[in-house]
Amino acid sequence: MNTRNELLCIWSAVLFVVVFTIGLWPLAHFLPAHAPTASAEDIAALYQARPWQMRLGLFVMMGCSGLVCAFVAAITVAMKRMENGLGVLTLTQLSAGTCGAVFLIVPCLVWTAAAFRPERSPALTLLLNDLGWIMLFMPFTTFVVQNIAIGLAVLGDRNAVPEMPRWVGFLNLWVAVLFIPGGFLTFFKTGPFAWNGVFVYWIPLVVFLGWYLVMFVLLRQGALKAARAA
Amino acid sequence: MSDNTAHRPPHLPGETGVWVFILGDMLMFAAFFIVFMAYRSEDVALYVNSQRTLNQHFGALNTFLMLTSSWCVAVAVEAGRADHRQRAQAWLVAAMGCALCFVVVKFFEYSEKIAAGFTLTTNDFFMYYFMLTGLHLMHVLLGLGVLCYLWFSLRAAPSADSMRTLESGASFWHMVDILWIVLFALLYLLR
Repeated sequence: MNTRNELLCIWSAVLFVVVFTIGLWPLAHFLPAHAPTASAEDIAALYQARPWQMRLGLFVMMGCSGLVCAFVAAITVAMKRMENGLGVLTLTQLSAGTCGAVFLIVPCLVWTAAAFRPERSPALTLLLNDLGWIMLFMPFTTFVVQNIAIGLAVLGDRNAVPEMPRWVGFLNLWVAVLFIPGGFLTFFKTGPFAWNGVFVYWIPLVVFLGWYLVMFVLLRQGALKAARAA
Repeated sequence: MSDNTAHRPPHLPGETGVWVFILGDMLMFAAFFIVFMAYRSEDVALYVNSQRTLNQHFGALNTFLMLTSSWCVAVAVEAGRADHRQRAQAWLVAAMGCALCFVVVKFFEYSEKIAAGFTLTTNDFFMYYFMLTGLHLMHVLLGLGVLCYLWFSLRAAPSADSMRTLESGASFWHMVDILWIVLFALLYLLR
């Protein structure tokens, strides 16, 4: 067990949250999200206005998303302690969390394609824009499974000194529930269940970043505790 | 009233952590309800007219089923406290039965609506109707799973944890019940 490397992976969470927010918000202007009802011309105009800034924002968002893999590994190591070995929940989390990282990277690549040739037909830019938003919020399934795996592992921790407090298990189960409405964007182009709506965009975004920071604190405590016990 | 009785510390049913989930879930539904009321206030006529098409009988029946299932769960917890495990299990089965009936009624209610041409995207009222009752239905199904788990957990001899587990699961079920009461009032009754 290498505590320094473990802490490195845990601290990557802070870097990810900060850099991703910078890319999303002031750079790419993806906060708030584009309206699903916007016309092809409006969307094309967004990509044509300062394309370099859009490209930079997306580059930054995509670039820091690899750090998610490091964080997933840090969670894996903590779950190994909970399950006393590479248990099935630990492996589920590892696999689901890794898939989650893909669905942060790929939408950025799709949007990059749109920003790459902003002068193309507006209908095509609209298509790529749609694809990006759908790919970002709709794959709630791996995030839900990841959080349920963490929740069950925390609640099933039978060690004398549990790795994490039990309320964290329930918190992860709650986070899992909060991600589910992300899938409803498929049915709506306006309202709270559209991809720019409160239940698809705002709540999952805030919850995701918030969960990251909460887990960061707990993982760090766990790693230091394990180092002392070793 | 005698003051000689020892002061009993307040007892939070179930384990502390489960209330993170329960209150968190209620917070999420509170957000749904607030959003619903906000959008409703912009077009009350639409909502009131659409509400007229709802089947109040199904709504009332479902409310009765939810309340009864909650009562069954409460009796099950009491039986569990007295270590009458088989009785507790029987009452849990009764609660599960009510929940299953609720699901069946929902199936008929949704079918009736869809057959009449009212779907998720008919208008804003029906979006909320299907989304909110649908999310609640998901919680009922989840709750059924929890009740099943409680039934199985009662097979083992009671331990320090088992009463807490029973109370935790029961608290979750009561939350599902409360959510329905509020939903019923907002969707079916509010004029």
